[in-house]
Amino acid sequence: MTHLLSIIVAAPAIAAAILLLLPNSARTGVRVVSLLGALISLAGSIAVAWTYDRAAGGLQRVEDYPLVPPLGIHLRLAVDGWGVPLLLLTGIIIVTGVLASWSVAKRDKDYFVLLLVLVAGVFGVFVSQDLFVFFLFYEIAVLPMYLLIGIWGASHEVPAAGPFRFVWKRFAVGGKEYAAMKLTLMLLVGSAAILVAMFLLWKEAGATTFDLGVLEATKFSRTTQMIAFPLVWLGFGSLAGVFPFHTWSPDGHASAPTAVSMLHAGVLMKLGAFGVMRIGMVLLPDAAVAWAPVVGTVAVINILYGALCAASQKDLKYIVAYSSVSHMGVVMLGAATLTTTGWNGAVYQMFAHGIMTGLFFALVGIVYERAHTRTIAKMGGFAHTMPVVAAFFTLACLSSLGLPGTAGFIAEFLVFLGSAQGAHAWWAVPGVIGAFVTAVYVLRACKTIFWGPPPKEEFAHLADVQRTEWGAPLVLGTALILFGVWPRFLLDFIDLTSTAFLGRIPTIS
Amino acid sequence: MSDPALLATIALVAPAAAALLLALVPPLRHRGAPAAFVCIAGTLVSFGAAIGLLVGRAPGAEEVRVVVPWLQAGGRTIAEVGVLVDGISSVMLAVVTLVALCVQVFSVGYMHDETRRGYGRYFAYHALFLFSMNLLVVAPNLLQFFAGWELVGLASYLLIGFYFAKPSAARAAVKAFWMTKLADMGFLVALLVLFVTTGSFEWTAVPTTAVATAVTLLLFLGVMGKSAQFPLHVWLPDAMEGPTPVSALLHAATMVAAGVFLVVRAHPLFELAPTTGDVMLWVGAVTAAFAACLALVQTDIKKVLAYSTCSQLGYMVAALGAGSAFAGFFHLGTHAFFKALLFLAAGSVIHAVHSNDLADMGGLRRKIPLTAATFGIGALSLAGVPGLAGFFSKDLVLTQVEGRAGWIPWALLMASAFLTAFYMGRVFIKAFLGAPSAKAEHAHEPGLAMTGPLVLLAVPSVIAGLFGGTLAHFVGAEYHTHFGLTPILASAMALGGLAMAGLVFGRGREVALMRTLRSLDSGSVVDRSWEFLYRRVMLGVSGVLGWFDRYVIDGLMNLTGYATLESGSAVRTLQTGRVRDYALAVVVGAILLSLFGVLR
Repeated sequence: MTHLLSIIVAAPAIAAAILLLLPNSARTGVRVVSLLGALISLAGSIAVAWTYDRAAGGLQRVEDYPLVPPLGIHLRLAVDGWGVPLLLLTGIIIVTGVLASWSVAKRDKDYFVLLLVLVAGVFGVFVSQDLFVFFLFYEIAVLPMYLLIGIWGASHEVPAAGPFRFVWKRFAVGGKEYAAMKLTLMLLVGSAAILVAMFLLWKEAGATTFDLGVLEATKFSRTTQMIAFPLVWLGFGSLAGVFPFHTWSPDGHASAPTAVSMLHAGVLMKLGAFGVMRIGMVLLPDAAVAWAPVVGTVAVINILYGALCAASQKDLKYIVAYSSVSHMGVVMLGAATLTTTGWNGAVYQMFAHGIMTGLFFALVGIVYERAHTRTIAKMGGFAHTMPVVAAFFTLACLSSLGLPGTAGFIAEFLVFLGSAQGAHAWWAVPGVIGAFVTAVYVLRACKTIFWGPPPKEEFAHLADVQRTEWGAPLVLGTALILFGVWPRFLLDFIDLTSTAFLGRIPTIS
Repeated sequence: MSDPALLATIALVAPAAAALLLALVPPLRHRGAPAAFVCIAGTLVSFGAAIGLLVGRAPGAEEVRVVVPWLQAGGRTIAEVGVLVDGISSVMLAVVTLVALCVQVFSVGYMHDETRRGYGRYFAYHALFLFSMNLLVVAPNLLQFFAGWELVGLASYLLIGFYFAKPSAARAAVKAFWMTKLADMGFLVALLVLFVTTGSFEWTAVPTTAVATAVTLLLFLGVMGKSAQFPLHVWLPDAMEGPTPVSALLHAATMVAAGVFLVVRAHPLFELAPTTGDVMLWVGAVTAAFAACLALVQTDIKKVLAYSTCSQLGYMVAALGAGSAFAGFFHLGTHAFFKALLFLAAGSVIHAVHSNDLADMGGLRRKIPLTAATFGIGALSLAGVPGLAGFFSKDLVLTQVEGRAGWIPWALLMASAFLTAFYMGRVFIKAFLGAPSAKAEHAHEPGLAMTGPLVLLAVPSVIAGLFGGTLAHFVGAEYHTHFGLTPILASAMALGGLAMAGLVFGRGREVALMRTLRSLDSGSVVDRSWEFLYRRVMLGVSGVLGWFDRYVIDGLMNLTGYATLESGSAVRTLQTGRVRDYALAVVVGAILLSLFGVLR
């Protein structure tokens, strides 16, 4: 199959087109078509991983179609060692996400259409080798989120307080429309920054092509690099939850419906981190070295600050959202180390966190659907009625706190090791402390929700995992353990590309 | 089947397979009894392999190391996993699997009243624990050891929280995990430092003295958590919320001793760092004495044993600090047998009277004579009565610390030896002698599943001390029994302590010291300090940051949106839609322009 990458990207989009042709009443049909689209992409991703030639490394399965020849824009698809795990991640999350969305009742067809369009964009980003198309897919992935949260989301109240409480009179902070708007606006401001950087690079490279390979071969002037790098870092970084542009995440993830949270925290935030590494650090190596202290320090703030904020939350979804902010800090820290170990860890963490947070949100969705509350203080003893949910939730917690044997450990350990090897060895220490704080807040939540005496009357008859709900816990839980016990499934790929890309970074003497 | 690497792998894989089977095939777990069968079968295979290793191994033989690459960076392998078989790991493997086997068989009887699902879950956790423990014992490098170390922590968390419906058990489980995780930050940083300076995680890595000191101090922080050394010991007494057999296996015989095993394993590293040795000597001695004092005033039979475990771990740590890995390892081995025996016997008592409280016992020697006898053997061995296992190893520890740091640690340990005999005498008298309490009236001896392991463990609790020489020869250390001040004094302490206990408690009296200690225990300064650090400091900071993020950082984002909207509204008022306003603007504009033209 020579067009495997096109198929992976197109399958969800085609499925979305087919959905548009189906009548609204074909509820099962809508779901089956969506699932098929997702499954084709997942199968394709597995095939890509299976057939990737590890001895050769580099870009493989190159496909090139001219799109706007006068400007040098090509639809150029190819996969490298970083692309493989991220394709797998996206495939796994969308399949489990569709399964977790089975019970969506409101305007379900529209919902699935948007979900599939979004994921087509994500697949596109991970295989694009043309900066313009990369950006195009990035926008396709980001925008449907506005509608998905604004229409299918859930609102909650945030009482007016603090020095800026007067803004509450202009908009209802905490509403789903508010959350959707905030998320979209913050990410669009980021996109604007990326756009500027993109044209800056395009122009300096001769204004003839957006081909990443050509851009990599271009030696950009130091000034250009120093200006473009922060634009790329903060532009993509806002999607990766880089402090202080992370505040869309708690509200956005808390308001979003289950599968949207899974996709957003599980995959979309990785687009941001991937962008910083693939565009910022690889294309602008000198600036990467110069800016690394800033990137790394902010990442450390992300880890500790995110974890401590998470520890103070009372709403379950907010805890998971803040934990994403903290864990994405680990990715950015790995990137900032500019060591192979750290980069391997960063990409591994993208995968591990994606799976782990996907599992978290899927389970939170199950609990919320039954208990109709996300306030942990109201819960208790749920393990009596939903032992399966409790078991998988515990597993997600363990990966989150970096327990050996789960994917989270491999990722965090590599990142910390990379930090210790890098120019700023002290970064490892706040990283390790962050992992401890994580242990505190996840296990406390786990204890409060699931342990204790059998639940009160109102929660006494909550059902355990049923039918399609099994999909997410089983697949994601297995992945967490499998890739935690035998990391080489992914590390063999990742290391090839990290080593190749890192060769471009000038060594700091 | 004599390939050591293969046998070690079998010992590792058998419990892992049992755990996986129980996790993946819910019917096995849900039906209870089959789960026990699968778990014990795995343990039996593991035990067989361990015995095979021990028997097939010539003393002083070369170590066998088989590894596969696990992590890589820059095309280079940075970490491996596999098995390392040498004298120390084969002995440890045999001890661990033997105690685990006894405890699991005992559990078949002890946990009989559980629901079927609970029963299944219990044995699934046990299989996970044994796999993790074996993973750590045969670890060829520090990284795999760390993986096993954290996983036994997980098993401990799950087993302490086994009765998760009980809030106290839930709290104890989480507390144990947090305290050990807190200490494990040291372990993790030690791994990083070791790798960055020596380029590997090997046991044989040789860093400079400064690095070795840093690494060993950090590692010792991890040891203090796992082996419950002062002031990180607070989780261990609470861990008694778990089922009693769990306390016997994890929180007495094996898991808590993993810290001691780590130091024995990493001995080449610790030898490079004399400073760490001094720290360990002091921490160990203080823990031994402190915990022995608290053991004296506990009213819960399991808590006495828990503090006693803390105290004995202090002995081991002190021995390691004095530079004698062998003394620590020897005491680890004998302690594993007699403490597991004591806990299981205590379990049998609890099973008989349905209470942990010493006040509910008394006079049990007639009702459950076998339990009383085996508990007595364990108590005498722990007290260090000459001739029994505990005497030899404790004597060796005391000999090793002779003259160290101005004899103070030695004196502390000697005093603890007296206290040990004294508090064990107290427990034995309160539980088994005197008049029976109301609850003790209907006590009866348990079935064979429970008495069998008691008898089995009583044997090594008596004779294990005689094998000191063999053990030393096997792991390549020196050991001679000798005669001198320390053994005489230690024997006097043991016998004196027991006699004193008979005099005091046999007549239902108390010593004044105990009242002081009791008030100290109820105040539990250490526990409260941790509580303060957690609630006030950590959660306090987290609360402030949470508010700050919500209302200041996010407030600024909201402010940006607000400012945009407000300025939009302000500018919008210019566009009124009324022709006369626009006409006015045109006229004013024209006048201004012409004025500008004229004046220029």
